[in-house]
Amino acid sequence: MTSPVIDIRFEDVRLAWETRKGPPTVALDRMRCAIPAGKVTAIIGPSGCGKSTMLQLARGFLEPSEGEIRFVDRRSGQSAPRPPMATVWQSFNLFPWLTILDNVAFGLEMSGVPKAERHARAMEALAKVDLRGFESKYPRQLSGGMRQRVGIARALVMKPEILLLDEPFGALDAQTRLVLQEQVAQIVQETGATVILITHSIEEAILLGDTIFVMTARPGRISREIEVALPKPRLLADLKRPEAVALFEEIYDLLKDEVVKAMTGESGAH
Amino acid sequence: MAGETTMPTEAAAEPNAGDKPAKPRPQVPWFRAVLDDQRLIGWSFLIALLCVWEFIVIQAKISPLYLPRPTRVVAVLWQNLMEADLATDLGLTLYRIFAGFLIALVTGVLLGVWMAVSKPVKAMADILIAALYPLPKVTLIPLLVIWLGTGGPFMLTISFMGAFFPIVINTVVGVQQCEPGLILAARDLGANLRQIVLRVLIPSAVPAIFAGIRIGLGISIILVVAAEMVVAKDGLGAKLFVAGQLLDTELVFAVLLVLALLGILITKGQDLIDDRLGLWRTN
Repeated sequence: MTSPVIDIRFEDVRLAWETRKGPPTVALDRMRCAIPAGKVTAIIGPSGCGKSTMLQLARGFLEPSEGEIRFVDRRSGQSAPRPPMATVWQSFNLFPWLTILDNVAFGLEMSGVPKAERHARAMEALAKVDLRGFESKYPRQLSGGMRQRVGIARALVMKPEILLLDEPFGALDAQTRLVLQEQVAQIVQETGATVILITHSIEEAILLGDTIFVMTARPGRISREIEVALPKPRLLADLKRPEAVALFEEIYDLLKDEVVKAMTGESGAH
Repeated sequence: MAGETTMPTEAAAEPNAGDKPAKPRPQVPWFRAVLDDQRLIGWSFLIALLCVWEFIVIQAKISPLYLPRPTRVVAVLWQNLMEADLATDLGLTLYRIFAGFLIALVTGVLLGVWMAVSKPVKAMADILIAALYPLPKVTLIPLLVIWLGTGGPFMLTISFMGAFFPIVINTVVGVQQCEPGLILAARDLGANLRQIVLRVLIPSAVPAIFAGIRIGLGISIILVVAAEMVVAKDGLGAKLFVAGQLLDTELVFAVLLVLALLGILITKGQDLIDDRLGLWRTN
């Protein structure tokens, strides 16, 4: 795949919902950031800070109340149409009535790719996530980690220029998560796609991210952009290196304050 | 699991997700195994009941006018199936039930999906359904006879009305209960509205639609047989009614037996399909 050239820019984006009583709920306010093409941007923040909302905005499933989300061709600096995108979901969102193969081929089927070709491409994607031999199973017959690898294959088969990972390991047990994190780090590196990773886990952000955006409690805004200078591909063992440990502590300190703020904000609202 | 420490966690997670490891079966005496077989218990109970019935009728010398013996009922049933036109009546009744039911299935699912995705349609249909659904459908028989006579169109309408409402209502519920994440995933993969309806909303509503079919088919059967008793010259309901008028108790029981067997057949068939729907239940 040719390397991606489209940056995503959030320009003073505000997203608010009207509530019946009282002031509107503000999910994001004056959000300003640039997500660079071809890099992995990890977004980390306290619960309810609007991380997933950012993905929905970037994907075009939500419209901002104010401001805009622009896609910019970095060669010309001109606005570009929305490039192909695909999402990997925390809750997998596989179709339970379809086989693994048909789940992975679903997107291709929607765009009218003939059966033989879409099945061939789906098999290729399944091989990439080590799930060859499971194509005729149904999602319920697979473990959580395997289901999420199906979710990844289903996104990759679309050859997205931008890959959105919405807490992709959030629903997995701790051990499965460790193994899958390493695998995904490698797969993501191979595709070369622009990646936005939403996560709760500092380790995950350091393991996968080129840049880490730390968000504030609601209304969400980016409080710090941190470059991860560690060489890639990274393994779990790299998290023990002194640079990684220092990074972890820096992010932890930033988050701790925000989490406390989010918690007290919540208790104040009740 | 002791030898698997070197394997990655994913592989270790497999056995409990895929094929179940063979569990060592505890030794049980054969009679315990027989007693645990639910189907055997059900059928044995039914046969025992029939034996008791037969025995009591013989012992107490009850007149067949009031309570014929089960063996006589079966004999009369066999004779009627072979010599008289009971088979034709059965065929007619089945045709009336299923013709109306199938129309109800198609139109009910279509309207249900339309209601679930369009608010104005739902508002309009809701008020009509609220008025018509609780109305006992047998009360419509006189009106339908005035409009349609007592022939095919009447029977079709009455069986349609029985199945239509449960199917519509269950379809609406099923579609509305569709996991929002699945719709988002389909949109993410480029599905348009039509594709989302056909490939996500309807499949995910299938278990609910099937529950509606179960209820609807049951009501269709009741309505068609009841309508036959009131207005028809043929069909199981008419046969039953005439047999009652002639005090042919054995034939009454024979027709009831056919209806009961029909019920068992349909229920068991639905159970079979229901098992296959287990596919939908977990994700």
